[in-house]
Amino acid sequence: MTPAPFTPAPPAANDTLLEVHDLSVHYGYGEYATQAVQNVSFRLAHGEFVGLVGESGSGKSTLGFALTGLSKPPAHIEKGRILFGGKDIASLDAEQLREQRHGGIAMVLQSGMNALNPVRSIRNHFVDIFRAHGHVERSRWAARATELIGKVELTPQVLDRFPGELSGGMRQRVSIALALSLEPELMVFDEPTTALDVLVQHAVMNTIIELQKAENFTAILISHDLGIVLESAQRVMVMHEGRIVEDAPARQILENPQADYTRMLLSHYADPRAEVVELPGFADRQQRQNDGAARADGATHAPTVSPRTRRTDQHTMIVENVSKVYPAPRRGEAPVRAVDNVSFTLEPGSALALVGASGSGKSTLAKLITAVEKPTSGSIRFGDLDVGTLSRRNFRQLHRDVQMVFQDPYSALNPLHTVEYALTRPVINFTGLHGTEARRRVLELLDIVGMKPVEEFAAKLPHQLSGGQRQRVVIARALASDPQVIIADEPVSMLDVSLRAGVLALLEDLREQWGVSLLYITHDLLSARVVTDNIMVLNHGAVVERGNTADVLRNPQDDYTIRLLDAIPNPRKEVA
Amino acid sequence: MTTSLPPTTAILRAPITPAGEAPSAWKVVARVASTVWSNGKARIGLIMLAVFVLLAIFAPLIAPYGASETGFERSADPSAAHWLGTTAAGEDVLSQLLYGAQISIFVGLVAGLLSTVIAVLIGLSWGYVRGFGADVINFIVNLFLVIPGLPLMIVIAAYLSGGGIGMIIIVVVVTGWAWGARVLRSQTQSLRSRDFITAAVFSGERPFRIVFREILPNMTSLIVGNFFGAATAAILAEAGLEFLGLGDSTVVSWGTMLFWAQNSNALLTGQWALLFAPGLCIALLATSLTLINFGVDGISNPRLREGTKK
Repeated sequence: MTPAPFTPAPPAANDTLLEVHDLSVHYGYGEYATQAVQNVSFRLAHGEFVGLVGESGSGKSTLGFALTGLSKPPAHIEKGRILFGGKDIASLDAEQLREQRHGGIAMVLQSGMNALNPVRSIRNHFVDIFRAHGHVERSRWAARATELIGKVELTPQVLDRFPGELSGGMRQRVSIALALSLEPELMVFDEPTTALDVLVQHAVMNTIIELQKAENFTAILISHDLGIVLESAQRVMVMHEGRIVEDAPARQILENPQADYTRMLLSHYADPRAEVVELPGFADRQQRQNDGAARADGATHAPTVSPRTRRTDQHTMIVENVSKVYPAPRRGEAPVRAVDNVSFTLEPGSALALVGASGSGKSTLAKLITAVEKPTSGSIRFGDLDVGTLSRRNFRQLHRDVQMVFQDPYSALNPLHTVEYALTRPVINFTGLHGTEARRRVLELLDIVGMKPVEEFAAKLPHQLSGGQRQRVVIARALASDPQVIIADEPVSMLDVSLRAGVLALLEDLREQWGVSLLYITHDLLSARVVTDNIMVLNHGAVVERGNTADVLRNPQDDYTIRLLDAIPNPRKEVA
Repeated sequence: MTTSLPPTTAILRAPITPAGEAPSAWKVVARVASTVWSNGKARIGLIMLAVFVLLAIFAPLIAPYGASETGFERSADPSAAHWLGTTAAGEDVLSQLLYGAQISIFVGLVAGLLSTVIAVLIGLSWGYVRGFGADVINFIVNLFLVIPGLPLMIVIAAYLSGGGIGMIIIVVVVTGWAWGARVLRSQTQSLRSRDFITAAVFSGERPFRIVFREILPNMTSLIVGNFFGAATAAILAEAGLEFLGLGDSTVVSWGTMLFWAQNSNALLTGQWALLFAPGLCIALLATSLTLINFGVDGISNPRLREGTKK
């Protein structure tokens, strides 16, 4: 090993590696500046694993970029100092900053898996770094690369592959290994697992925790997910609107949170396996059903009388032995069986959860049910309609009754149309209302989804709304045709924790008040537990387990369900 | 600047005529104009274009003499009476230049508009349909793309010889629409897979409406950019064809001025203005349109638009 060109202050004198003093980071200047980080001070000791938690817009990533000297205009450090081993990072020029990356600070980004150059093999990525910093002798390059790739639990064969040939989780591991190659004193992980699938997320997180213990670097884990942070970090800083509102050891945050904001975040976590699951706005499902015994009797299989009197013919969605096979992605490979012989019925007014990791076929199933894709075999019937063979001309017949809530509220609304336009179109197309009547219906829809004052929201454009508000508009649009079935494809996965409960409660209300049946597609077992009665677990396109949601989650039989349950970050796991 | 608020409040207050129509065409034009104006380079381009357009429109008032008024001293140097001198046939160069602007701008705008309209219609439907229809369009567009532009132009122009300005417009449109169609098609394909398009299908929208009300407005900047690009190409092509003598050489335009200047060996006789002035005008007009193109990015992105206000 060559000695690091950048020598941190001797740890003997004091154990502080990083000291942030009264730091403010602004976007833009003057009175238009957005104050993303305000007066933040903290210090990190050698070998500490610190979590930085906050919702979107809290300034946590801005802070992370400032620490690593990666702030880009218009972001700039307004005031304060960042002392890394006694040196102020803000005062370094670009070349000094580059040099100190060896043995200094490294960062792993959320999109780190996309940070790899698609036309260079993984080995070349390592060689580039070795060459740029000259800290590894040429003869040891291969050995060092193999060693690093082993540290992130990948096989040496990966070195000769190209980024496009690796899965998202593998690419993220590679970018962690690349960050490690400079033997950093401080690693900043910015949402390292957010873009990954649940199961992969869990595995990558475990790798990070193990690595930190083995290599003993100092780590900052930036995440929106308090669960992940509490599981891995020793100390947690909670950020809210640019300020650190709480800075305490993980256990203390969990057992005795001081700030209201931390308490609010914590209240949204629960173990889906528990006997009684309550979230803000949700009493336990079974208790609710017992309370309202006369209404639903907890029996979801018996077609209950719709609370909506004006609808006389409620249809059941019947899916029988449906399979969907996509042609092989490359010559010589087997065709992809996205959905494999799935059967179920969705009774009027019931709520069914469809869970599974990404690639389990749950979204394909949603496309089949809504006639966007045609099944390869099997039949899907809704009332008199044969959904499986429905032509595009007859889509309106189906979509009058079957509507969809999309996963990403940021792309589900046309950015150029006002909320009113987005809602008016289905009202005109499906109900035949026009003019002022259509407008009245639009305002009524906004009222139903709780967007008040309705007139004001009707005139807004999507970018003027928050994620939660957008999702409410998407739900309102799905309700415009007065549908019988709503298919919700991960409706809350893109939203902040504090917004999720509101959207879920809205879906629940709709189901109870309007008798809409709900097919809830998710990988989030906790939300499935609170909004659905029955559950189907999908793995590689096939149903591996089904039954009453509470029963299945409390007593999972299939190995895959158990793995899904284990992958859920749960801050209370250790305490319980 | 308050670019986005007035339209939205206006929609709210307006009685809802055939429910929720988008802002009127005039408002869209006004919005596009104010967005382009807010960009520095585009503002310079707009001013230059405006000067050319005004000169063209008021040419009969400004020009000291008629465009084909002969009888002055032949091949004269610039003087007080003839600022840019006279041609070999004894016409005033400045007057020719002013009248010639009419043709160049007219051909540029009309041919640019027509080829953009064709590119939009073909590009959008090509991007939205799948299957056999798309393959057929693909073949036709590739055919036009693969044939070199200038030779094709020359062949068509020679074939339609004597058609004058209308012929030149047709030639420019026929050879110029394919690139725009291809660009718009790829953007349509990428927008087609977005959730809000699927959502429009769920809202019971017909394909025609999805293409022209959901997809098209999201490509305004591409389309406007395509228009200015096509107009620039049309101006250059018009000048090129006329310079080669393929147009109607009795019409006074910048291209024919260059043609006659070349014929009379203007440079050998020291008549630099005769060659230089129309050439510079063609270059400046093309530059103005290119500069305007810098400002079109913000048009179909409301967020960029708000970012520009200070």
